[in-house]
Amino acid sequence: MANTKTDEKLQKIAKDLLESGEVNLIIGYTKGSNPQRMRPVFITKPEEVVKLTFSSNAVQDLAVFLKKQEVKKYGKIGITVKGCDEKAVNALIQEYQLSRDNIKIIGMQCNGVIKQSLADKGETKVSETTVYDKCLICQEHTPVLYDFLVETEEPELSISGNVKPYAEIEKLEAMSAEEKNAYWAKEFDKCIKCYACRQACPLCFCSRCIVEKNMPQWIDTNSEEPGNAQWNLIRAYHLSGRCIGCGECERACPVNIPLMLINEKMARDVYNLFGYKSGLDINAKPVFGVFSENDFNDFIK
Amino acid sequence: MEDMNVEKEKQKEGTASANTGSQSDPRLIAFVCNWCTYNGADLAGTSRMKYSDNVRVIKLPCTGRIDPLFIVEAFKKGAKGVLVSGCHPGDCHYTSGNYHSRRKYATFRDLLGYLGVDLNRVEFSWISASEGNKWVAVINEFTDKIKSLPDKTTDIFTKK
Repeated sequence: MANTKTDEKLQKIAKDLLESGEVNLIIGYTKGSNPQRMRPVFITKPEEVVKLTFSSNAVQDLAVFLKKQEVKKYGKIGITVKGCDEKAVNALIQEYQLSRDNIKIIGMQCNGVIKQSLADKGETKVSETTVYDKCLICQEHTPVLYDFLVETEEPELSISGNVKPYAEIEKLEAMSAEEKNAYWAKEFDKCIKCYACRQACPLCFCSRCIVEKNMPQWIDTNSEEPGNAQWNLIRAYHLSGRCIGCGECERACPVNIPLMLINEKMARDVYNLFGYKSGLDINAKPVFGVFSENDFNDFIK
Repeated sequence: MEDMNVEKEKQKEGTASANTGSQSDPRLIAFVCNWCTYNGADLAGTSRMKYSDNVRVIKLPCTGRIDPLFIVEAFKKGAKGVLVSGCHPGDCHYTSGNYHSRRKYATFRDLLGYLGVDLNRVEFSWISASEGNKWVAVINEFTDKIKSLPDKTTDIFTKK
């Protein structure tokens, strides 16, 4: 729950940053409509920093706001990020969407965030059964890059191994093409093409998305097959090697398509093929921006 | 070739669908690069080599220009198989286009397979301008492979 010590430290950092003029805007979390919910808050005045808070209910990836024009116009920005969200900031810097000089990263140590569906029912304990799958495989409980670090007071997440994160991926990999097709056809059939996955994604920053390009019309815009599958396939492709696994697309999806099963699988494949993980190093070149003469060639005749 | 012509005649008379081909006479799309594979195919033609006429060649400047969207589009329009072919590694006219595309396609192929597309229907090859015989072999093999597949047209690209 809201931890006064971490909150105090966070508020002090934010206040100093705003007062000294190092940043013009702080993006952070504040208490939401009920005690189990957090919502984003945008703070421009030092006296407003008391609104800032952080807890294991802070599920949203705030890095998504960094791509918005309304936020960009503030110039220098401070942002409150968990370890996973911080990787999105790194990826944006890697892809020249953001300048390291224009951003102050307030890293929040985090030992997992509670699934919103459970939190809404009153779950308050962080444990391996209540956190998102991404938290179980998280290697960055402390953000990899930060200007200020706010340590957590939460106990470390204990992982017994009984809960298998993204267990479906292995199941799907073992299926035949027909079975996989049946699985995905059923999932994509639900898609209503609301593009919430795109809007919630910190790395979908194209000002004009492929789906909005209509000369030629690459992707059917009506919400039925095959356009649905095409949309989800192309989005997954555009994110492969880039997705940092914050899981916001899946959380935003109103019809619960398990999008992270695709994104996580692609992240694993890219790691296996090219040894690259997205968002860990701001000086690394994006995986598809470079090549090696010894890249995987077995599939080519 | 004799048999194929007979088959063709039969189709003209009746049942086969208009432009995407049937299982016995599948339509294949080959996206090829301007500098190597297209010239390889050209060599096969000028050398009077015979190869399966199921393939339709689409020439692009470089394999680096062949967006995975093109493959998706070809499947969506009803192609039974898609081939992407370009210069051998190290021979790219633009120095590194094929290296970049190799990375892209290694990943894209995984994604296609994961989403339930039969990977026998997508093929990649490096064919240089002097490899007319390789072009003939690749096309013939690919056509045979597609013909041998069960007549299953349900994948994520099919309209319900």
